[in-house]
Amino acid sequence: MAGAAERPHPPTHAKRNLALLGAALLVGWAAVTVDVDPSEILDLPGGVALLFREMFLDPGPDWSYLPTALEGMIESLQLAWVGTVLGAILSIPLGFVGAKNVSSGGVSNVVRQLLNAIRAFPEVVLAVAIMIPIAGLGPVAGALAIGLHSIGTLGKLTAEVIEGIDPGPVEAARAAGGGSILVQRWGVLPQVLPEIVAFWLYRFEINIRAAAVLGVVGAGGIGFSLQQTISFHRYSLAGTAVIVVVLVTIAVDTVSGWVRRRIIEGAGAKRVDADAIAHPELAEVVTGPVERP
Amino acid sequence: MTAAAGSGQRPARPRQSLIVPAGLLAFLVITWLSLSDQFGIGFDLGAIIEDITNGGRILITESDSAAQRGLLVPNWAFLPRTVDPMLETFKMAVVASVVGCTVALPVAFTVSRVTAPNGVVLFLGRTVLSVVRAIPDLLYALMFVAAVGIGPLAGIVALVFFNIGVVAKLLSETVDGVDPGPIEAARAGGGNRTQTVRWAVLPQVLPNYVAYSLYTFELNIRASTVIGIVGAGGIGNLLFTQYRFFNWSNVSIVVVTLFVFVLLIELISIWLRRRLV
Amino acid sequence: MIRFENASVTYPGGVHALKDVTLDIRDGEMLIIVGLSGAGKSTLIRVINGLVPLSGGDVKIDGVSVRHAGSRQLREIRSKIGMIFQTFNLVKRTTVLNNVLMGRLYGAGTLRSLFAWYRPEDIEIAMQALERVDIVEKAYVRASNLSGGQQQRVGIARALAQQPKIILADEPVASLDPPTSHVVMRDLQRINRELGITTIVNLHFLDLAKVYGERIIGMRGGELVYDGTAAQADERVFRDIYGRSLTADDVMSEAATAAATL
Repeated sequence: MAGAAERPHPPTHAKRNLALLGAALLVGWAAVTVDVDPSEILDLPGGVALLFREMFLDPGPDWSYLPTALEGMIESLQLAWVGTVLGAILSIPLGFVGAKNVSSGGVSNVVRQLLNAIRAFPEVVLAVAIMIPIAGLGPVAGALAIGLHSIGTLGKLTAEVIEGIDPGPVEAARAAGGGSILVQRWGVLPQVLPEIVAFWLYRFEINIRAAAVLGVVGAGGIGFSLQQTISFHRYSLAGTAVIVVVLVTIAVDTVSGWVRRRIIEGAGAKRVDADAIAHPELAEVVTGPVERP
Repeated sequence: MTAAAGSGQRPARPRQSLIVPAGLLAFLVITWLSLSDQFGIGFDLGAIIEDITNGGRILITESDSAAQRGLLVPNWAFLPRTVDPMLETFKMAVVASVVGCTVALPVAFTVSRVTAPNGVVLFLGRTVLSVVRAIPDLLYALMFVAAVGIGPLAGIVALVFFNIGVVAKLLSETVDGVDPGPIEAARAGGGNRTQTVRWAVLPQVLPNYVAYSLYTFELNIRASTVIGIVGAGGIGNLLFTQYRFFNWSNVSIVVVTLFVFVLLIELISIWLRRRLV
Repeated sequence: MIRFENASVTYPGGVHALKDVTLDIRDGEMLIIVGLSGAGKSTLIRVINGLVPLSGGDVKIDGVSVRHAGSRQLREIRSKIGMIFQTFNLVKRTTVLNNVLMGRLYGAGTLRSLFAWYRPEDIEIAMQALERVDIVEKAYVRASNLSGGQQQRVGIARALAQQPKIILADEPVASLDPPTSHVVMRDLQRINRELGITTIVNLHFLDLAKVYGERIIGMRGGELVYDGTAAQADERVFRDIYGRSLTADDVMSEAATAAATL
């Protein structure tokens, strides 16, 4: 072959292999030292199959429990809704203050850190450690816990969306002599509102899942029924409750997802994948270097 | 017709779409119903503000027991007792992440339009996945504790299901958006479905998969605090026992440990993601 | 020998992309298909390896029906047909060698390819394919770091790694500049002559078709409207195929063509 080039040597990947070995060792250590007996693992399929049978097949769900379960699920939906609304309302000012192009760098940093700190705690922990002691047992404590946690995620998202806006309209409003609040009302809000509303809905979908279990710690909703029926081995009743949770959650997901798509498409904003960005930690990855041309 | 010669008629103001006002109305009605005492959760802002002002007792109180002096007076002597449960939480999260993300990989390819073997499998897979996703982590934990008894195994299995739901959904959406060109090339070369997925699709989504897996690991650390509450092992167990005895100073320590740990994991995870992706 | 017997394709939308085409392609031929976009060129190429299913008639390769092949048999047929694409269709995130090894998927089998345990002979075939298109030095480089022309050469190497009897090239130079187009077309011509691989190329540019084609066929509205040698294909013939007078868009830059043929 004319002017054939030398075949290159395959790269060795020493660093990568070392890292993989380290990861394998970590996983091996965790698997071996975690307090699980091998016999337990063998019992697992049988135990799960038995529970599944009692809950859903034989004797299966007890439909006389349906009204109680539905009532609990409706309370879960309501506390998820109230929590989402609380979080949404409070996250707007925090989002504006947390956006670098609206407030100063120092302030936005502090706010972002605060939002990160809030997000670190799951709703149930917030309910147990703060809201139940303050508001007492019941759905209000649950709604407050969901609201507080939602501020963390929604605030961060709002700030990120605002940072990504087109600066043109803001300049136009400023050039027309608008003051700072006016600039933000007419320059920023219309651009970001559809995306933000879509996030709220997505957050509501996630919050339903949290609201369905907050009752386990006494913070309202169907979780209480789930916990009681399962701990007292009333598996037929538990089966009914689980079916209610699953069906209602899927139904709300479907409706909410449809509305979200309408909002995003209606606004002509194509760039946002609300699902991906509503997992805020993923935002940088998802929009990141998937394709490097 | 003196000023603007030849100009057409000014257009009538377009009729405003009813969607926005209708949506607003629906929002207000649902919110009002949810807040109301009679139909909803009985949300009373005045009472809450009063509660918050009274809530001071959990922040600081006089007590003979170092464990019960309030959230703002952490009982540092309790700190060593958080080490073992935190370590257990960490191990549970590691094992659950590895198992969950491994299982999620083929599941994701089954529920993506691009790589599903056929329409029936796609539909069934999506249905099962939406059921898996509709069950919250704590409910999984409740059920698996009932099935296999209290301890980390129930927690790990609960986390595995939770992870499959998250990773399979995110990854299948990524697969939906891959460049179809290499898929056509692999099929044209005589590759079967498995080979096409392995060589034409997987390399395209691998960075996303790694990122989702690391993200799930962070979620697991947080979630395992929750599932411990129902006896599925880890730091959540400790948190809930201390809470039940109103040992606010100990609760405070657990929460602080947890917070520092979550932050640490997040930092490591972000660093890894930057290196890998 | 590829034999089209009244081959027809109707897409789900109701478009008749291929109407009753009957055509013989001899082994070792260099065949160029010209026609406007939408004339059915891509469909004609893709029914040969079954990427587009036939709705009527049949295509037989050495007597084996493509239309009636089961999925396993179809994969076997495809393994002997290399394909080259307008947009290269490389996996950009992985190495050149891994891309070329995609040509060995059928030969290596599912289990081996799943875990990337390719046999040494598979890797040798891939390396030789890269050497044939003069790009072996990039074997361990990510495909995304190559230029368009280099990517298309990797695409050719991937097809060669199948050790094919037939190569299908769907607008292989439409995304490339004139000089690079000639490099790629010359590669295809050389492969056709040196290895005796039947080569079927879709082209838009008439001048390229005349330079590199032995036999040219013209497509219009899904039908075969011309079949003859490159020498016979003059401007009048092309006007007939295109159904309109020729424009500057139908030829690649004259100068570049002249330079290439010197």
